[in-house]
Amino acid sequence: MNIAVLLKQVPDTTAKIIISEGKVDENSVSKWSMSPYDEYALESGLQMKDANNGLLIAITCGPDRSKKMLTDAAAVGADTLIHISDEGVKDSTHTQQLLAAVIKKFDANVILCGKQAADTNGGSTGPGVAEILDAACVTLVSEVSFTDGKYITMRPSNNGTEKVSVDGISVFAFDKGTTELRRPNVRGIMMAKKKAIESMTSTDLGVDLSSSNVTLDSQTPPPEKAAGQKFDGAEHVPTVVSKLRNEANVI
Amino acid sequence: MITMAYEALDFYDVDSLLSEEERMVRDMVRDWVDEEVIPNIENACREGVFPDEWRVALGEMGVLGAPLKGYGCPGLSYTAYGVICRELERGDSGLRSFASVQGSLAMYPIWDFGSEEQKNYYLPKMASGEWIGCFGLTEPDYGSNPGDMITKAEDKGDHYLLNGAKMWITNGTIAEVAVVWAKLDGVIRGFIVEKNDPGFSAPEMKGKHSLKASVTSELVFQDCKIPKDRMLPGVKGLRGPFSCLNNARFGISWGALGSAQACFDSAKDYAMSRIQFNHPIASYQLVQNKLAWMLREITKGQLLAYHLGQKKDAGVWIPEHISLAKMNNVDIALEIARVARDIHGANGILDEYPIMRHMANLESVKTYEGTHDIHNLIIGRHITGIQAFTREA
Repeated sequence: MNIAVLLKQVPDTTAKIIISEGKVDENSVSKWSMSPYDEYALESGLQMKDANNGLLIAITCGPDRSKKMLTDAAAVGADTLIHISDEGVKDSTHTQQLLAAVIKKFDANVILCGKQAADTNGGSTGPGVAEILDAACVTLVSEVSFTDGKYITMRPSNNGTEKVSVDGISVFAFDKGTTELRRPNVRGIMMAKKKAIESMTSTDLGVDLSSSNVTLDSQTPPPEKAAGQKFDGAEHVPTVVSKLRNEANVI
Repeated sequence: MITMAYEALDFYDVDSLLSEEERMVRDMVRDWVDEEVIPNIENACREGVFPDEWRVALGEMGVLGAPLKGYGCPGLSYTAYGVICRELERGDSGLRSFASVQGSLAMYPIWDFGSEEQKNYYLPKMASGEWIGCFGLTEPDYGSNPGDMITKAEDKGDHYLLNGAKMWITNGTIAEVAVVWAKLDGVIRGFIVEKNDPGFSAPEMKGKHSLKASVTSELVFQDCKIPKDRMLPGVKGLRGPFSCLNNARFGISWGALGSAQACFDSAKDYAMSRIQFNHPIASYQLVQNKLAWMLREITKGQLLAYHLGQKKDAGVWIPEHISLAKMNNVDIALEIARVARDIHGANGILDEYPIMRHMANLESVKTYEGTHDIHNLIIGRHITGIQAFTREA
């Protein structure tokens, strides 16, 4: 079983984002990490690999810095590491085409990814890749296993949880999963260091990135939080309760 | 503008000099300390226990006996070992003590001076954390002067008989394996004593105000009978225990910086949010002076530790290099803890902040593994060629 896990390196959730001249200043990001939902996808992929004697292919499309994340994935058990250069990528459909090309190249049976990346929150990668591959796609899953030739997955429904079975090539986009990504150990780290990262470009993959009808015009930081209000003394309790109920809508 | 995510203070970006492997090991241990140690440490101290889950986790991460190669040991660099100690001690000195004793004081002598059979039998189980080790050198009446130890071994033909007592032994009560130094016909030799050997007991020492999450014990040998194959064949004299101490002291020189960084982080955060006279106390010159001094000393200590790590990895070091780093970095860490307490005001004494715990821990760290004064004498002897430990000789 070939398991493809799609990963994206994003600014760590603790990192401060600075916007300069209408764009996120990537040089100001002090720490880059694997996108949290991708971590759940990776953990599920590792479990599926262990249970089915599979091969786990970790794939990312991004700048050179994102190779570090592939080494981190190798430290917990990814077998094959593929870095696709994001040079020339203009929109998310380009990324999806590049990812799909690699997935085909490795004859992946199942594709796992996060439901959205923690930086752009686009949410289009899983469904987009599935569309190109003509594969089934289940989103917002919390776990996936392979039993009797079918993938069994859990996802939320209107009134609880639904269990979905899929066969054939399938894409699963993870929400918060049931198991946190395992911690690496020294042995894994030492093996990861020796593992080669295969780099590919759009030309290598035969993907045409010339046309795009999307342009990112500008990025702006969220508005500053308004100053809090302070009340001193028991006589203000009714006012505070009324504000919490009617303005903040928390009670 | 430079932004800082958590990241321990690293003003000169010294960690950028680490290899990728060393940084990955750092991140692994750092994350574990953040997730499992810091939320539980105060409780462990209050109960006076070393949580057994920490033993298991250290074994699973594969960091015990970090720089040792073969026999199931990790085979990392000494620099990586230093980084591990620093990250562990940011959590607590008691945790780092556990790892120091296991790796440098119990595994290392077996690895360096043991027979093939001893290495194959003990090291894999100690590297995995299954067996805890301890190290018996210090005696109630012989601390800085271990050469005059009283504990002795007698050759009884088909076994050795040990008699004597050791004190201040980290991990003693919870250890399966003790590496004990005793005199055989007047010469110091290393012996491996197992938990259930007849005539051996390891009562816990209670009442510590420091290293409360670490187990400290006495080791008592009353006609303790051990098989002949338990003596370490590869070393005689004080060189044996001193080789172990060199490695442990190296780890402490890094570890103390972890405590110092934890105190700095807490003091900085507190100073930024504590308002007095309408402004954060961080905006006052006296407080900034204190923070600047902390950063200065931590940065110097980091450079010292890193360079010593490189020397250790290159095999071009002398014990005096380690003495300097151990002495300096523990000294500044303790002083930083005290200044951090000052910045925290009364809050600094509460266990809501890590300050008082690190401060109390560092009082032990300043004394164990060669007191601050003894390290000064080691440097003094290096400078002058005149030993000042004793009036005799």
